[in-house]
Amino acid sequence: MEVVHHHSAFLLPPAPAGHRTSLSYALVVLNQRLPRFAPLLWQHANLRLCADGGANRVFDEMPALFPDEEADVIRNRYKPDVIKGDMDSIRSEVMDFYIKLGTKVVDESHDQDTTDLHKCVSFIRDFTSDLDKSRLCILVVGALGGRFDHEIGNINVLCRFKNMRIILISDDCLIHLLPEGKSHEIHILPSVVGPHCGLIPIGMPSKSTTTTGLQWNINGAEMHFGGLISTSNIAKEDIVTVHSDSDLLWTISIKKPQDRLQ
Amino acid sequence: MPALLPDEEADVIRNRYKPDVIEGDMDSIRSEVLDFYIKLGTKVVDESHDQDTTDLHKCVSYICDFTSDLDKSRLCILVAGALGGRFDHEIGNINVLCGFKNMRIILISDDCLIHLLPGGQNHEIHILPSVVGPHCGLIPIGMPSKSTTTTGLQWNLNGTKMQFGGLISTSNIAKDDTVTVHSDSDLLWTISIKKSQDRLQ
Repeated sequence: MEVVHHHSAFLLPPAPAGHRTSLSYALVVLNQRLPRFAPLLWQHANLRLCADGGANRVFDEMPALFPDEEADVIRNRYKPDVIKGDMDSIRSEVMDFYIKLGTKVVDESHDQDTTDLHKCVSFIRDFTSDLDKSRLCILVVGALGGRFDHEIGNINVLCRFKNMRIILISDDCLIHLLPEGKSHEIHILPSVVGPHCGLIPIGMPSKSTTTTGLQWNINGAEMHFGGLISTSNIAKEDIVTVHSDSDLLWTISIKKPQDRLQ
Repeated sequence: MPALLPDEEADVIRNRYKPDVIEGDMDSIRSEVLDFYIKLGTKVVDESHDQDTTDLHKCVSYICDFTSDLDKSRLCILVAGALGGRFDHEIGNINVLCGFKNMRIILISDDCLIHLLPGGQNHEIHILPSVVGPHCGLIPIGMPSKSTTTTGLQWNLNGTKMQFGGLISTSNIAKDDTVTVHSDSDLLWTISIKKSQDRLQ
């Protein structure tokens, strides 16, 4: 049976130059307040996209994360490669600023059928068509919180692109899909994530899920909304394994700076 | 509460906005807060022995029992603080809506509200355009929906199937003051709440 490994190394500083990492990261910034570790994710990424108003967030909020440096220096350093979406939220001065710096702008205002995140994931998939998709990991900030229908629309993108690694990240937690029928090994870095976690049968009941490494492991039990779903669980070990007959969302908390192990 | 009413004295506000009950496993409430409300007469129900249900579930059960002589269709539970933050908490709270599907429970944040529309019933949602909308959505939480029909939306559904991984109705727009929904399975309804600056006067 295929084993799929999941890591959260993107929450640690990038490995020194010369060390090849096994994953290639892309970053998508959506239109919510940037998490405090957005600069770290930016450093890991080889490709950085802003979805529409996400460009306003980078323009306004990256400088605020570096209060000791000049805003213009920060804006030049954190320049998105692409701005994509229907362009109804990005401010014109922000668009002009990044166009002058060489950012590519892809106007998709004609396409009202897919969310901004969906457009960005499609773009990344096409842009990296020669890359083995198991080596590509798309990090997304700004997908959670705010309007619930937006949040669910973003989670649906994880379900639509279930064979791609896409991780939604906020200040409080991260979420990604564990596709059905595979053996998942989730490598926990206790200095940066956990221990609060959960497994959610999004979209349909799960007839049988089995886990190891959790405080309350599941042993072939059924999960469905209205009945048992695994929330407020605790990751006890450094590897959590999950196998299920249907797609599950995995979520784990991200440690606040004051809670991190030194 | 005092910060929301900055022109009044904090103590006056705290006395006015006194909870009737504090319920849960008590691992977050600060001891000076607990003492303050106990002195004012708030009832404290310590459920720290029960690790199997969420705090919201405990509160809904309590309200159910406390209002046992009230016709449940006349009771509506408003919940603030259920959304945002840890995703597993948010989902745990949504699961309470599914677990008590025949009760009116509405999760409310600054940005939106969410409640369940149980399957098999005809729902009429009365929109107050001065305070809610227009952004809305219908979500087949828990299982695919074979057939949903709506009126009053920009993109109405017409016997349409919905499921995660395929079509779900998000970023829809409420066009009429009454939206109707009928589905074979439970759906979550969500609609945006207008910011103060967007409200119709």
